[in-house]
Amino acid sequence: MEYSKEKKVGEGTYAVVYVGTQRSTNRQIAIKEIKTSEFKDGLDMSAIREVKYLQELNHPNVISLIDIFMAYDNLNLVLEFLPSDLEVIIKDRNILFTPGDIKAWMLMTLRGIHHIHRNFVLHRDLKPNNLLLSPDGMIKIADFGLARIMPGPRETLTSNVVTRWYRAPELLFGAQHYTYAIDIWSIGIIFAELMLRIPYLPGQDDVSQMEVTFRALGTPTDKDWPEVSSFPSYNKLQIYPPPSKDEFRKRFIAAPESALDLMNGMLTMNPHKRWDSSQCLQSVYFTELPPPSNPEDMKNFLKK
Amino acid sequence: MSESTPVSTANNSTTATPDPVVPDKPPNYKVISDDDLYRHSSQYRFWSFTKDNLKQKRLETNSRATQKIEEDMKKFIGSQTLTNDELNITSTKAIPLTMEEELKLVNFYTQKVKVISQHLNLPTEVTATAIVFFKKFFIENSVMEFDPKELVHTTIFLACKSENYFISVDSFARKAKSSREAILKYEFTLLESLKFSLLLHHPYKPLHGFFLDIQNVLHDKVDLNHMGRIYDACRKRITESLLTDIIYHFTPPQITLAILLIEDEQLITKYLEIKFTGDENSHNIQLDKLLAIINSCKEMILSPDVVPTQDAKVIAAKNYYVQHPMVLINKYRKKREGQESTAEPPEKRLKTD
Repeated sequence: MEYSKEKKVGEGTYAVVYVGTQRSTNRQIAIKEIKTSEFKDGLDMSAIREVKYLQELNHPNVISLIDIFMAYDNLNLVLEFLPSDLEVIIKDRNILFTPGDIKAWMLMTLRGIHHIHRNFVLHRDLKPNNLLLSPDGMIKIADFGLARIMPGPRETLTSNVVTRWYRAPELLFGAQHYTYAIDIWSIGIIFAELMLRIPYLPGQDDVSQMEVTFRALGTPTDKDWPEVSSFPSYNKLQIYPPPSKDEFRKRFIAAPESALDLMNGMLTMNPHKRWDSSQCLQSVYFTELPPPSNPEDMKNFLKK
Repeated sequence: MSESTPVSTANNSTTATPDPVVPDKPPNYKVISDDDLYRHSSQYRFWSFTKDNLKQKRLETNSRATQKIEEDMKKFIGSQTLTNDELNITSTKAIPLTMEEELKLVNFYTQKVKVISQHLNLPTEVTATAIVFFKKFFIENSVMEFDPKELVHTTIFLACKSENYFISVDSFARKAKSSREAILKYEFTLLESLKFSLLLHHPYKPLHGFFLDIQNVLHDKVDLNHMGRIYDACRKRITESLLTDIIYHFTPPQITLAILLIEDEQLITKYLEIKFTGDENSHNIQLDKLLAIINSCKEMILSPDVVPTQDAKVIAAKNYYVQHPMVLINKYRKKREGQESTAEPPEKRLKTD
């Protein structure tokens, strides 16, 4: 066997994850063993999506699929070993990180999503927990179990995607057509969470998520998002005014102006006006000081 | 802008005025074009071949299966006591399929995949994916190793899931008049044979792109109703064209242009001329080169391998006998007994008399 499974590190609904070693290179790897016996419909959709998209995406900021093999009627995905994720880091009160660290994580995340979007793929589940960290401090976008290819103009999509707190307003409204902009929204929320060190818009349920979102960022109107009021759930909404620049500055005290601009670009209500990955990457935030930290220097966050 | 250079990045000692706003392009700076992206796709990396390559692959699959069949046949003959006539019959009727025969049988069943998918009212993309999956499976595997009949439903079912068109296996089995077990039996083998490459770039999206761009480039000169008719006709033709080998040799936009050319040569020629000559040409594409590629693609599309049912039956029977020589022998023995018994009647009649 080329790969050894050494320790079980996680178990999800459709897979068990082990840490192991690739014998020929002696490098650490993770093996995601897809449970097949439990699925009466054959290969599970999430597994199919994961294989389908990881096979295409080859980028320093996207988890890399090293190999796939079958053993004992199970499908095994061999992935690079990623010891931590941003959720762990955000929650660990013993870890202090700098504005440069946040900038580096945002830059790597946006580079990854830019590549994903250029390949016509929507991730549809971005959250700190799915932004993994490699032993050399790199961000790796992971978990493509909800991903899909950008649909044709006549295809409809399910709005029941993305973990609630990171869900874009068009999804909250139940839109059947949406674009890459939903992923950018999620990254905007993650950006806020990195600065605040707590979840930015933690709704209790789907209804409260709308309430929380619009209270913080203003209820969209037909003026800046034409026909938004034609969504069925719109007329039940309380209309909040958008926050002033000052309110933002107060909420994100340490953030420079350029960071707030970028965040505003990503958290624009109207998905057509929301910044795309290129606009985000060209934001002044990334070129002004402080420079993004060198991932190599951020490795100490990974020590237990 | 801050004037103090951070201590940690003291690498630009040779530059007099470090300017953090416009970073230098790194030495390995490269613009990744859409063509580069396509070359990174698994469709290109694993499933694009020259015609010779493809033929070679099919020959290899065929000879691997043939070898196994011949070994089995030797064992069979060694284990049985056969008359000279019976040996003669096995060596003439139970012979492995040639690569060409295999291909004919595969093409026949690929047509079935298409018809069944359409009969099940599946979206066009699902049908297209099923066709492509099925054909690819039989590049890696021989019909002498896997009965193509057994993969038809498996392929369509996996195509549904891969194209995000989920149907439970039970309701699929009901609609397809098959069983859960039969559908799932080779699902893993299929996935493995596809080299885990599931994302297919079908020509339907480029068709939509060209459809919009043609109207843009030839505005005022195209009739919208006419364009609509062409669009629908092209979509149908794309599905049909996937039955040939074009996807291994051409990119999706090349296939799309070939199909558009078949549908309205005058219009597309005009579009390409405006697009790729003169001032409009910012694409660095040579029109004559492009036309040569599109035309060779068009030729392949216009010469599909339509296999009559009768031919397929003959090949399928041969395939069956070579794998089950005893059936052939028994059939022969029965026939001979029959002949003998027709020679017997006088005696029998005598007895009954």
